[in-house]
Amino acid sequence: MSNQKTSRKSAFGEVKGHIDALATGFKYFVDPHRMTLDYPAEAMELPKNYRGFFRLVDEKCIGCSLCEIVCPSNAIVMMQLPATQPPTPQADAQAPARPVPRVKKRPLVDWGMCIFCYFCVDVCPTEAFERSNIHDLSYFEESEYRPTFDRFLKLPESPSQNSKKVVAKLDEKNGIKYEEGGKE
Amino acid sequence: MTQEIKTVPFTYEALSQLEMKEGILELQIGPAHAGSGHMRILAWVEGDTVVKVDPDVGFVHRGVEKLSEDRLYIKAIPMVERPSLVDTVNANLGYVIALERLLGLEPPPRAQYIRVITAEISRIMSHLYGIAIYGIFMGSSTVFMWAVADREPFIDLLQELTGARITYSHIIPGGVRWDLPKGFADKVEVALRYLENRMKDYEKVWINNPVVVARSAGVGKLGAEDAIRLGVVGPNLRASGVKYDVRKNDPYAAYADFDFEVPTFKEGDSYSRLLIRVEEIKQSMSIIRQALKRLPEGKVIYEDYYKRMSPLMKEIYDKTGRVKFTLMLTSLSPPKGEAISRVEGGRGEMFYYLVSDGGKNPYRFRLVTPSFRNLPYFTHVMPGHKLADIPVIYGSIDYFPPEADR
Amino acid sequence: MMSFLYFIPNSWLPLLESAFYALIFPGFIAILLLAFFIIWFERKAAARVQMRYGPLWVSKRTGGIIQLLADMIRFSFQEFIVPQGADFIPFVFLPGLLLAFSVLPTVFIPIGPDYSRIFPSNYTLLLAVAFTLVIPVYLVVLGWAADNKFSFIGALREAYLLISYEVPFILAITSAFLLYGTLDLVKIVGIQESTLPGIMLNPIAAIVYVIAVIRATGRVPYDIVEADSELVFGPYTEYSSLMFGFVMGVPYIELYSYSLLFSVLFLSGWAPATGIGFLGGLILPGIVTFVKSVIVMCFLVFLRAVYPRYKLDKAVKAGWSWVFYLALIALFLSAVVSRILW
Repeated sequence: MSNQKTSRKSAFGEVKGHIDALATGFKYFVDPHRMTLDYPAEAMELPKNYRGFFRLVDEKCIGCSLCEIVCPSNAIVMMQLPATQPPTPQADAQAPARPVPRVKKRPLVDWGMCIFCYFCVDVCPTEAFERSNIHDLSYFEESEYRPTFDRFLKLPESPSQNSKKVVAKLDEKNGIKYEEGGKE
Repeated sequence: MTQEIKTVPFTYEALSQLEMKEGILELQIGPAHAGSGHMRILAWVEGDTVVKVDPDVGFVHRGVEKLSEDRLYIKAIPMVERPSLVDTVNANLGYVIALERLLGLEPPPRAQYIRVITAEISRIMSHLYGIAIYGIFMGSSTVFMWAVADREPFIDLLQELTGARITYSHIIPGGVRWDLPKGFADKVEVALRYLENRMKDYEKVWINNPVVVARSAGVGKLGAEDAIRLGVVGPNLRASGVKYDVRKNDPYAAYADFDFEVPTFKEGDSYSRLLIRVEEIKQSMSIIRQALKRLPEGKVIYEDYYKRMSPLMKEIYDKTGRVKFTLMLTSLSPPKGEAISRVEGGRGEMFYYLVSDGGKNPYRFRLVTPSFRNLPYFTHVMPGHKLADIPVIYGSIDYFPPEADR
Repeated sequence: MMSFLYFIPNSWLPLLESAFYALIFPGFIAILLLAFFIIWFERKAAARVQMRYGPLWVSKRTGGIIQLLADMIRFSFQEFIVPQGADFIPFVFLPGLLLAFSVLPTVFIPIGPDYSRIFPSNYTLLLAVAFTLVIPVYLVVLGWAADNKFSFIGALREAYLLISYEVPFILAITSAFLLYGTLDLVKIVGIQESTLPGIMLNPIAAIVYVIAVIRATGRVPYDIVEADSELVFGPYTEYSSLMFGFVMGVPYIELYSYSLLFSVLFLSGWAPATGIGFLGGLILPGIVTFVKSVIVMCFLVFLRAVYPRYKLDKAVKAGWSWVFYLALIALFLSAVVSRILW
């Protein structure tokens, strides 16, 4: 192919090119299809499978450390916590004598290093991570952010949880419009 | 004087002596400059004519290759997609194809088709970004805002599929991580038609704009033999008249099933490099439509990996289409050997070379990115042009510094 | 309302009137407020074309119109840095001189039929054009004074462009002079009122004038001197703090002077509002002229949203080739039309 068709133009073609460009610019000036989201007054209602913050469901975790092994950015550290749940008496009576674990291993995610690739969520054999589509986090002091195990058992509070939730609807002619959040 | 400057070698001592010559001005279009991106371009100008250009590569070097020697094979997947940030799926795909060749397995056909669909969407996004950067280097922020805004429908599509906006980490050895959701094909069709409508506006405001033609026609010409000799890749090579595309010459991942053209232009100047990206967007749209029509049924993960999943993992896959990682993936130990893979990214050919010594970490991982291969445009094409042509040529080759520096 | 005038001695009245028109409306204060408005309008127009909002948050209900005021307040808290190798006196004092000379042509351009009371002269067109031609020279000195290679290259570009585009500009003015037969701008508007606006009498001169103005004020596609992606900000690179706000605003003030001249020369100035008015018969025609020049300015800054920028050698070549030929055609057309009219 050659670019001669558009690069070699007569004087009339050039004037037409200028007029076309100005007319299209003016068309958008009069009717802009704005795509701006008025965050934080509005916030996007992200899809259910958006890779946002997640929390640990303590009962399901078995401490296998696969999440720590597979994390690409080494953001998960397995903590050794005392095993607080005593074994039930019936189980003790039926099972043969074996030592009761005094520590349990549980993961702790450093959100500053996490890249939200969800390798850990997908490798966990017991689905112990409960996912959410919260994508934003804000804090005034560093102590609010520092990861601790108790904080990891709850989902973080999204600063835009009280904003109006909108969903992006794509229209062929007019582009993206933000409409009231649809609960599908 | 220009002749003897052409023979100055690219060493620190020789280049520092160059400024002593009368009439030569050394310009440091450095990292904190509106027309340089994340790199430093040292340009020696005589009057208004550029006589020598030294691209100073390495400002954002992260050491991807060395870091991967210390990590599991699967951990390198997010690392490998981050250098070429606007075209992540192709980077991901190349690494996983090399890894699959080492392991000796083939993903199922449905996974291959999904890989092609996401790779072509990624290519459209990469070309839109290339058009945007070209515009802003020439001084028009309109086409930059438009092209980056037009990536948004595609980002939304892949966000619904994978859950992230740009760095998907979607492709793993054995297949892909998520199956297509319901209604995906219709949403893709709406997005493609939206882009076709917008392309008409682009033609009026940008592609047929006389100022753009005046600025870029005839600038940065590179003939076909020179392009092959210098080793440039991608749309730049095709804009110089060489019909070479890895998807046709060395097909991978179901590209052999599709019917598409490889456009070329014979002039090889900046305007051709702009037009070829528009043409390739049209070809990508055709491939996506063909793939969605003929999508085969089946699993999206390798059969062996599916058999080794626990009942809980199989239930999750059957209900939601999300692939859980088995222990096999976290402790991949390919047999001793080496493997090569080449994919056609949005900017050009990406080359991956993996050497395994039987352990859990790769012994050597070599990655050659298309932006690094396109560096001869700076050293061999820019000299002889005017100073104002530096941003025009730089923007037209779609050079991305983090990709070149890895 | 007029009672306060009884307390002022009669001999002071003309001076106060001139001071009002020169300083308040449409003089210095109005021009400064206009610079606020036009910079806001440029950003908003570009934003509307680019599918976004532009300045919005500074005062959300008014659409961000006091954005430049907020910027100025922020600039005044920055440190004014003079580079060590820079020439101190031109670097620090030339922007003020630039501002003065860019406002000065508005004194000569009449805004109403009675303007000869304020500035009596038969040669107002010549004076206005002469004062607009001084500015580019200062720009070249400014580029040299800052000790920066990019400013230096910007100054050289300005020198090239100044030489090649002033000739078509003078030719366009000459063809306007030829068309109307007089250098007195008040009489020129009178001629346009009785026949047709200048833009219909000699459209080619209007086009050449507009192209020369786009070059002279540095509007896209001719912002070659302050090219963002090649020379960081051209001759103005090294300025910080309030001086930066200054040098950002000076091209818009120049643009106002040129647009005022355009609306008087080609758009028949104060045409619909003749003779009606109060306070000396100059306020209402002044408003009409002001509004016309603001509309011309709005069109010229809208070009930023549509075009990229030209290259230096192509622009210089164009200035000596087709723009020059168009100016010659305009001269010829003026001769023909003035023959027909008189």
